Amino acid sequence: MEQSGTSALLQGAVQDLASDVVSALRGGDHLRMSGTGAVDEIEGSLDLAAVRVLGADLLLPHVLFPSPPDPAALAVFRKTVETFPPRADAAPTVKWSHWAMSRTLRRFDTPLSGAPGAPGASFEDEAAEPDAGWLDEATWQALTHQLAVLAPLAVPAEDCAVVRAARRRPVDVARGFVRAVRRRDWQQAAGAGRWLTLLDGVPDTLGLEAGLDFVELMGGNDPRVALQVQAARVMRTAGALV
Amino acid sequence: MTDTRLMHTVGVRALEWLWAHRDGFRLEPDVDPEVGFLERFKPVGELALICRVLFREGVAGSRQADLARRLLDHTWRNTLDGGRMLVRGQRVEPLSPIPFEVYLPYKELGYSEPEVERATVLYHRLDSWAALELDPTRRLGLSAFQRRFGLVPRVPEADSVGSTWLGQTPEPWTVSGHIAYDVTHTVFHLTDWGEHPEGLPPDIADYLATWLPVWIDDWLDLERWDLLGELLVVDACLPRPTLDERAWRGFAAAQQPDGAMPAVRTMPEGEPDEVFDIVYHPTLVAAFASMLATSRALAELTHATE
Repeated sequence: MEQSGTSALLQGAVQDLASDVVSALRGGDHLRMSGTGAVDEIEGSLDLAAVRVLGADLLLPHVLFPSPPDPAALAVFRKTVETFPPRADAAPTVKWSHWAMSRTLRRFDTPLSGAPGAPGASFEDEAAEPDAGWLDEATWQALTHQLAVLAPLAVPAEDCAVVRAARRRPVDVARGFVRAVRRRDWQQAAGAGRWLTLLDGVPDTLGLEAGLDFVELMGGNDPRVALQVQAARVMRTAGALV
Repeated sequence: MTDTRLMHTVGVRALEWLWAHRDGFRLEPDVDPEVGFLERFKPVGELALICRVLFREGVAGSRQADLARRLLDHTWRNTLDGGRMLVRGQRVEPLSPIPFEVYLPYKELGYSEPEVERATVLYHRLDSWAALELDPTRRLGLSAFQRRFGLVPRVPEADSVGSTWLGQTPEPWTVSGHIAYDVTHTVFHLTDWGEHPEGLPPDIADYLATWLPVWIDDWLDLERWDLLGELLVVDACLPRPTLDERAWRGFAAAQQPDGAMPAVRTMPEGEPDEVFDIVYHPTLVAAFASMLATSRALAELTHATE
């Protein structure tokens, strides 16, 4: 019971953080996320775990509306990256999610003293991208699922092996979007839709824009769904291309 | 691509079940004429359509061809009373397209009942028949059948296509079970039940090539075998069928040892006639999908060795 209680608490913490990001994305708030207060209070491992679950998207508003993050938020972000290094045998999505967070830290020009890619880092090689070969071999169903998990990598001007793998298979990701909607898996659908917003070669018949609105209508009460939909909307409005 | 033998075997077993349960193809002559004498014609017409596909594609063995011919003879002589039941159906409900639709495949296979034909030609002259408020896919099918009968459809097929759901190539994530059945039947009518894959307009063929794999994946996982079977027929109607191995393996595994194909998940329980009424359609569809997919697989083999 305690385990499931902890899990529910973690989910709640993730949802709160996601809500803050959604608000910032909707408001185009450059200066501080509405949830900075909440971020200030993050100290326990549970809260850091919540940041780890949300991943690089915690700072997404500052990526899409270029602006320096609040120092406190950045500090929590950095601490999270330091606290949860992926194990050598971690799943590729875990390694890539960590890579995305490290990359976001570098984007804001505050490399970690001992973090991957930082001068003098103990594992400079970690700045190198993890392997993404598994995506090329994945079925369209599995590809879409994995990309949805890695939705924080779907940002304008990002260029990494995961983005290149997605670019090679726009029709497969579109199929995965349809599959996720049919299965009422709104989070996966929203993540796939965010990717599709950035890809060329998506079939017109998909009806992506209305599809994302539909996903928001049906699943938008979950802030993690709303975050993906709103991210897609901002990127589409900006006409951003990967 | 799926092992051709696996696909072929599904049809062989389905035909054995249909033959063993041929008495399930029955009308209810004593039903109140106002209540739906025509209701039970549909299975008979579908059987004739599928048997026609079997002869046309020529991929069945001699045992299957023999069973199909005997099934046609049985239903024509016994169920339809040599065509008299179709005449009766036309008198009960003159404007219903059903007796004509059931008659056409029998006629194409050499059976004849002149009175059904006389009535059909007469009804075709009526504005009322052309004005029937059929849904677009049904209208498309009726026009196609009229053409095959030798009449000039008063509602041209090309005019109906654009009104169908598929003809408008809408958002593929909105498909439901009902819509999916409309899609499969639109394809059946456009291709004359798989005879002319080139009958699919290119935009529709492209649309299906893109999205059909998603729908097959979905209804396979939902174990909706009846609809999955129809979608596998659609796949075999495409310019480049996928003959998806995972779907065919799941479909074949759902088939019972006696050849029956459950409609959804597992076999229903009940009186034999009740069970027949539920599973005859998926079993017919299994035979249809098997014959068409086998034919396409063999054709590809031929191309590959040329």
